[in-house]
Amino acid sequence: MQLGARRMTSIRSEDAAFEALFTAEYARVVGIANRVLADPHEAEDVAQDVFIDFHRLHSASADYAPAWLHRAAAHASLNRLRGARRRLKREVAQAVQEGEHTLDPQQQLEVNEDRRHVRQALARLAPRPAAALALRASGLSYAEVSQALGVGIGQVGTLLRRAEAALRKEVTRGTSN
Amino acid sequence: MVDDADARSGADAAHLEGCSECQARMKVVSDDASSIAALLAVPEVHVDVDAAFQRVMQQPRSQPALVRFPILRPATRPTFALVAAVVAAAVVIVAFTFSGFFFKPTTVKTVPVTVADVQALSQLADYGTITWSKEPQLQATTSAADASSVAGGLQPPKVSQLPAGVSTNVTYGAMSEAVATFTFSAEKAAAAAARHGKTPPPMPAGMDGATLTITVGPAVGEVYGDLNRPSSDASTINLPQLIVARSAAPTAKATGVTVKDLESYILAQPGITPELKKAVSAIGDPSTTLLIPVPIEYATSTQVTVQGVDGVALGDNTGVGSAVVWVKGGSVYVVAGSIKQSDAINIANNLK
Repeated sequence: MQLGARRMTSIRSEDAAFEALFTAEYARVVGIANRVLADPHEAEDVAQDVFIDFHRLHSASADYAPAWLHRAAAHASLNRLRGARRRLKREVAQAVQEGEHTLDPQQQLEVNEDRRHVRQALARLAPRPAAALALRASGLSYAEVSQALGVGIGQVGTLLRRAEAALRKEVTRGTSN
Repeated sequence: MVDDADARSGADAAHLEGCSECQARMKVVSDDASSIAALLAVPEVHVDVDAAFQRVMQQPRSQPALVRFPILRPATRPTFALVAAVVAAAVVIVAFTFSGFFFKPTTVKTVPVTVADVQALSQLADYGTITWSKEPQLQATTSAADASSVAGGLQPPKVSQLPAGVSTNVTYGAMSEAVATFTFSAEKAAAAAARHGKTPPPMPAGMDGATLTITVGPAVGEVYGDLNRPSSDASTINLPQLIVARSAAPTAKATGVTVKDLESYILAQPGITPELKKAVSAIGDPSTTLLIPVPIEYATSTQVTVQGVDGVALGDNTGVGSAVVWVKGGSVYVVAGSIKQSDAINIANNLK
């Protein structure tokens, strides 16, 4: 009986820990996925899959939990972006957001077109630099990027600079084609 | 150290303060970073965290796994699914085929199974209802003593020497004893077979309403591997390198049905291959033999001697995966992992 009670307590505390983790990290995980996909609905899909995978396999009280979620969000959304590159034009075009209603249709078209080019360029980068850019652009600190990608904090700056240069090159290549 | 306050500290920060060249370079890099940030800019997403949490918790697959194996490479996933199918088939075979008056294995033997056999056998679970009179409790612990207390005092086996390359990180796992009763139902059997477009053989007289009570565990074991390391990719899972486990031998009791009737009924199910029928018929005493189903397309098995008793070794010497199973002193032992078969047998022989 005592063991059963202990098990129940451990289940309850695990559930509570997962809920706390979800509440603390969900918006940020969606933010990372949306940074990559530029599609809030798909970003929420990715985020929910990431949390489901995490909950199934890991303990929410693990100290690596946020870093795992951030990395998984970046990689899962980049994978989706690569798989969906052909569909990208349509998807990004549909992603007219709140807060952009002040743009006139011509401006909106240009914003969408730029966004599409940048995502196509991002999809062509190697996974690690692409993930580093997505994480940093989503507001993660160097320390958080370093934990998520498993690189030393001293390497984050260099990794980001190279990734930025690579993205810039890809964007230029994409627009000049 | 360029665009993150945390990264700008100590000597770097002091140097930057007084060096105009570095300040200029810093500005270029900073501008670059902001222009990339602008390129990647998206409107902020407004999320409903509570609604999202409810959606996630409603997904059946979001329920935590009973045993957490954090990381498994994509290439190993089919193997993992296969192992799951084999375990399911083992339970079904134990539960249905050899459950005469009383089943208590004292030895192990392999029987060849195919995907068709596994499918045919797994459908048998729909031929009645399962009720748990004692649900299994599973728990991962960090000490052997905690694991042992969950498993009713059963001590986890001790590995005397790990093969080279196997992580010394160990996690203990334990399962309390569980008891389930399966009640056969002719009506459910007919309905289940009809759903699959098949005609089942007629149920022997008295089998409708007959019960089969299965006791498994307690079990205790240890898992070697870096389970808590974050995976390198969201879609990967670390497979433990070595699992050593000991379980009280499962037992089964049947009422209302004889072992012979049950055996013929199971083997007459559509989809069961002649190979499996032949192998099952060749088993000497079904009530004392634990059958290990071996998928003939994927794995090989050999009869080995472990700790002075007959055992079964699966896998090969490539190091991809191997397992040794034996029954001794009322316990079933398993040594399995991504190790060579010779290492698995060596660990098995030196287990304390």
